[in-house]
Amino acid sequence: MEDDRYSRQRLFAPIGDAGQAKLADSAVCIVGMGALGTVLASHMVRAGVGLVRLVDRDYVERSNLQRQMLYDEEDAAGGYPKAIAAERKLRRVNSEIRLEAIVADATSANVESLLEGMDLALDGTDNFQTRFLLNDACFRQGIPFVYGGAVSSRGMSAIFVPGVTPCLRCLISSGDSDGETCDTIGVIAPVVDIAASYQAVEALKYLVGDAEHRREALVSFDVWGNQHFEMKLGAPRKDCPCCQRKEYPALQAAPDEAISLCGRGTVQIAGSRPLDLERWRERLAPVAAGVKLNAYLLRAELPEGERLVLFPDGRVLVQGTDDFVRAKTLYARYIGS
Amino acid sequence: MELTINGITQQLEVRTVGDVIAHFGLEGKPVVVEADGEIVDRERWGEAELRQGMKLELVHFVGGG
Repeated sequence: MEDDRYSRQRLFAPIGDAGQAKLADSAVCIVGMGALGTVLASHMVRAGVGLVRLVDRDYVERSNLQRQMLYDEEDAAGGYPKAIAAERKLRRVNSEIRLEAIVADATSANVESLLEGMDLALDGTDNFQTRFLLNDACFRQGIPFVYGGAVSSRGMSAIFVPGVTPCLRCLISSGDSDGETCDTIGVIAPVVDIAASYQAVEALKYLVGDAEHRREALVSFDVWGNQHFEMKLGAPRKDCPCCQRKEYPALQAAPDEAISLCGRGTVQIAGSRPLDLERWRERLAPVAAGVKLNAYLLRAELPEGERLVLFPDGRVLVQGTDDFVRAKTLYARYIGS
Repeated sequence: MELTINGITQQLEVRTVGDVIAHFGLEGKPVVVEADGEIVDRERWGEAELRQGMKLELVHFVGGG
């Protein structure tokens, strides 16, 4: 018992030996390995979930270090993809579980394969577009979607279980939007930890089969303003296009060619073909300054002032602009159409 | 009429949930409304009539992460 890494968790009666065995048999997918995702991954890996899949499209930068708890200055300096840097750190935390790092953007083209074989999906994303995609994919696959969000000093969480609770689309519309992101009004680390921990505990309850203790409410809080509120989720909306009409709108839409990422003025161009990074280093070195290649991505500082980040899966981040036209122009100029 | 919105009792010139949403400039925002403990379907906001003394909770979904 003494050298059992899970001894304290086994002693917690609602988990016990039986629950621990169920966790070892479970698989979860965390989409988005930013502030929420790193906390979620730490909880799942330390708790002994048998397979933890980490999906992220971005790489580590210095501005992440204030709250994305798995990364360090070396990861930022090396410009490693978040999924890779997280996997590397988490392997040292628990070598007895399986970890899968996937450097990719979750889209309608790949989301169902990302969730294949998973028992649930944990929301580590920073935007509603990907959340609606995950919501729809989870409900089609019949696995829970564990929502979490944090911005400023406010956080929220809810577990959406197919056939049991409403889904995200029952509550808000995919047409809704606001300009409040971590990049416009900021965020403090403690609120992210709290939101992600609410998500993690609902995941653990579900994975060990304790449906009786499932939180039936959307929990929301402001840790600076000292507020806490729970809203009962109630029944699904009768004509919900996801959980009632089973149309799963986000899965029907074609992936966007270009999207704006939460932050730092970045446009992602999906690209249509894989990129051989070594070959692209040779091509870009004469025309761009500071071309840096690591095993996962290539960064190039353009004379125009923007930065291109190329991934082997064909994606290119254009950093330094929010303007789609400008980003596409630079993409066409350096990468081709 | 007198309403308690997110714990604060106030006087508003409103008739429906939709009027309250408009009053706070929340049209098109990811907001869920609970009136006396029940979520109001967003498609019914415009017709959902309020009564004196009702307790409303407006929960603004958080998108960051």
